[in-house]
Amino acid sequence: MAGNNQSLDHSNVKTHCHAVLKRILPFALLWTLVLSLVGAEPEKSVVQITNYGQQPNWVQPWRFNQVRAGSGTGFLIEGRKIMTNAHVVSWGKEIQVKRYQDPTPWRARVKYISHEADLAILEIEDERFFEGMEPLNIGDLPYVRSSVTTYGYPAGGQQISYTRGVVSRVEMHSYVHSGNRAFLTVQTDAAINPGNSGGPVIQDGNVVGVAFQGIPGLENAGFFIPPPVINHFLEDIADGTHEGFPRAGIQIQPLQNPAYRKMLKLKNDSVGARIDSLLPIPGIKDLLREDDVLMKVKDYEVGADGTVIYRGNRLGVSVIFQEAQAGDKVPLTVWRDGKEVNLEVPMSAYNDDRREGNQYDMLPRFYVYGGLVFTPLSLDYLRGSRGTGQELIYELNYRRREKPETMRPEPIVLASVLSHEVNANMGVRGQILVDKINGVKINKLEDVIKAIKEAKDAKHVIKFMGGGSFECLDRKAADNAHSEILATYGIREDRRL
Amino acid sequence: MKKPLFLLAAVLIAAALPAFGQGRSSAEKWENSIVELEVTRKTYDYIQPWSKTTAKSRKIGTVIGSREILTTATGLNDKILIRIQKGGRGRWFNGEVKWMDYHANVALITSDSDSFWEGLKPIELADKDFNRDGLQIARWRSGKMEARKADFYEWRDRTLQLSTVSCLHLGANTEADGIGSAEPVFDGEKLVGICVGKGGDTASIMPYAFIRPVLKAQREGKFAGLGIFDFTWQPTRNPDTLEYLGLKGEPRGVVVIKVPEKKDRKSVMKVRDLILEVDGHSIDNEGEYKDPEYGHLTLENLTTHKGRSAGDKVKIKVLRDGKELEVTYTMPAADYGRDLIPDYIFDQEPEYLMTAGIVFQPLTEDFLRRWGASWTRRAPFRLLYFRSKESTEKTPSLVVLTVVIPDPINLGYEAIRFQVVDKVNDKQIHTLKDLTEAMKTPKDGFHVVEFIKGSAAQRLVLDAAETDNATQRVLGRYGIPKDHYFAGEPTGAGLMENPLRGRGPRRPKGN
Repeated sequence: MAGNNQSLDHSNVKTHCHAVLKRILPFALLWTLVLSLVGAEPEKSVVQITNYGQQPNWVQPWRFNQVRAGSGTGFLIEGRKIMTNAHVVSWGKEIQVKRYQDPTPWRARVKYISHEADLAILEIEDERFFEGMEPLNIGDLPYVRSSVTTYGYPAGGQQISYTRGVVSRVEMHSYVHSGNRAFLTVQTDAAINPGNSGGPVIQDGNVVGVAFQGIPGLENAGFFIPPPVINHFLEDIADGTHEGFPRAGIQIQPLQNPAYRKMLKLKNDSVGARIDSLLPIPGIKDLLREDDVLMKVKDYEVGADGTVIYRGNRLGVSVIFQEAQAGDKVPLTVWRDGKEVNLEVPMSAYNDDRREGNQYDMLPRFYVYGGLVFTPLSLDYLRGSRGTGQELIYELNYRRREKPETMRPEPIVLASVLSHEVNANMGVRGQILVDKINGVKINKLEDVIKAIKEAKDAKHVIKFMGGGSFECLDRKAADNAHSEILATYGIREDRRL
Repeated sequence: MKKPLFLLAAVLIAAALPAFGQGRSSAEKWENSIVELEVTRKTYDYIQPWSKTTAKSRKIGTVIGSREILTTATGLNDKILIRIQKGGRGRWFNGEVKWMDYHANVALITSDSDSFWEGLKPIELADKDFNRDGLQIARWRSGKMEARKADFYEWRDRTLQLSTVSCLHLGANTEADGIGSAEPVFDGEKLVGICVGKGGDTASIMPYAFIRPVLKAQREGKFAGLGIFDFTWQPTRNPDTLEYLGLKGEPRGVVVIKVPEKKDRKSVMKVRDLILEVDGHSIDNEGEYKDPEYGHLTLENLTTHKGRSAGDKVKIKVLRDGKELEVTYTMPAADYGRDLIPDYIFDQEPEYLMTAGIVFQPLTEDFLRRWGASWTRRAPFRLLYFRSKESTEKTPSLVVLTVVIPDPINLGYEAIRFQVVDKVNDKQIHTLKDLTEAMKTPKDGFHVVEFIKGSAAQRLVLDAAETDNATQRVLGRYGIPKDHYFAGEPTGAGLMENPLRGRGPRRPKGN
């Protein structure tokens, strides 16, 4: 039924176009532009999104910050899905969508979200919403120098706004929403402003990008998420679950030095980049070695600087790995011990480092005992507490790479101490990593709860990481004060696991 | 034309500063005991360790004995020339360091010129408490003796300026600004101390009570250096902690949380010892004791009080496993090399080794301080993090690749910098000497430099046969005088005058 509707509308569009064509024939240059604007009328598929969101407080994790309204753009795609940026709808409690020139706000909810790719799919229950709306098609990666038009609801007015520009360049770029992932990105000089986020970037009537970020200080440079990343996300969720982008787990260094190439018995040309180190991902560690030289990934020849030619652009080789879905195998050729070896690398989503980046829609885990608030260490916590402690920064950002064997699955931080007579004399008031409680090493939040529950001695002994400092807490007094502390500070449950 | 202008200026200053006028009569009696010192010293650009410049600084000295001028050690490191001027004007005489100790921040300067000493009169160092309302800070300023009132504020313990050792300091409120260059503080005819700094309105003064015993030991040839407590403690405001440690009675004492890891020195202190008394002084929960003369001071002050020095034995009463016992703690000497990253390396040009354009340097705080006043936040985090580590047998010190000077041999490595070296040619590297040694045995014609795990790049490779040629090429092309400097080698090459600094006195003079 839906398919029929579409083809019907399509023929209507065509006839309409012919009428226009006759009228403006002399302006050949203008013609294609008008065709794409008037013909497809994408603005009817572009919506304004208002998100009433609420973030938790990471230092006192049972609390929530005030509700904030944010606004962005979205667009309808095949399957009655509204696509937008993840950052437009993150932490959303109530999401409203407005259609083109329609005064009604429609309630929406997040169906799928990829915080790493900064993409989300919303669904709207009310069928009437879709009346008269055509889904937009996802096109191909646009070529540099080609023109694109953005559609969106940026700040500075209420109506839909269009801007036009060229594709300036195509590159791998960090996605600021997650903060620690880089994907394919397209830069354009079409103005992209706050509120444009999630809006489509259109070329020849097709979506060739989702506007999403800018760089402060750069002029006439906006960035959008191109079709390879969009399609990856759509393919990923096609089975109803979102796995995320897999990583090859290899760190690549350029291999331009003639001596290094000679030592690896490699021709002194510009092919092959060196695998400098491997992430601790099972499967990869047995398959690849440090100083293996990556020669080819799929059919893409890897340059000595670790790049490949991808649809006319020289890009970091990770662009090829990112095309794969979790569970796929990527064929590659490495140079090892003076000869080429062909391998197939299994791809799996790597999420162990998520807490080093921004996390969303996940309420922080915590446990409160005797006024002591325990919570996992994360970038969100560190930012929320304005923490500058060297031990915290090292634990979060460096230990995994330097001493993976000493890495705790979930480092726990004493986030804050809620003042009460049982803890009033403690010298430590928060922002410190917990090493042991009652002699038990703390590897995750559950260990804290267990160590406190199973204590037999009169005093709990909490030892911290770093300088070896410790604090004691009277067990009976803390047990007795438990409900009083929760009541005083308005904590409904002493834990969120 | 110029003369009336200067006269006018002098009159204006005198009128604007009534305190100056008041202090003048007493100031006159110090004129023959206070001298100005001008120190020229070498300074280094640690990112180009072969590049040396000079800097000039001025400070005050006080004649305290026969041919002896007392000042602080600050600014005397890496000195080339010391000149002394008396009376605030006239001829500069050459001076030299008779004795000094950086940790104690005390220096004695002398001059072999007889005419210099003519008319100079030693002033006596105080030996007991003084009139707290009558303190005066004196110095030469624009050729005039300036004396400013200072009001006694408190006795306090502070770490010494060039060390982590604590000693007794005197805090006094004063309006005098820009002080901290060893200006003497007088009570009448007696020298009470010398200024080491000022925070807010309060001048920090190193008092006679610390200086006197140091100088006495020095004169008797017995000064063994300052000692330290090499254990770490935390306050015990928390009664639960005291109960846990088994203390009965009144809350008191602080708890040891860290003792040094070195094998050669078995610590008599143990982790979780509750320190109850040091030298018979009861220690409270904050780690302070009450000195009969100076009031509440941190227990660390007991490392230096009354002329105590390295090697001295201190009786410490602790509560260990619920039992009280007394241990005899022998104080180790304060040593800049105790930490993995040495605090200071004085009187030595920065060590480095440049091979094939790649510059290696020992990791020192001197190097990290090149990131300016807020270096503890701005220097590379990973290097700063090592500051919390002790020097151990396994890892006594670290070598860092600081910069790559581009040359065809190091093509592709230009972006590598500030990475800690782990191994070279499979040999563990702790010092530049280790590195030179390891470079003698390349692996199949290649030098393989490996960095500690987690570095941006894990390793680099050089053609061993080409390395020496490349080093010579880089020396020539980039105007670098020498491919290395190791401690103890003669210096000299490459000294250049910094055009921005040290152009003699900057202030106008009245003569």
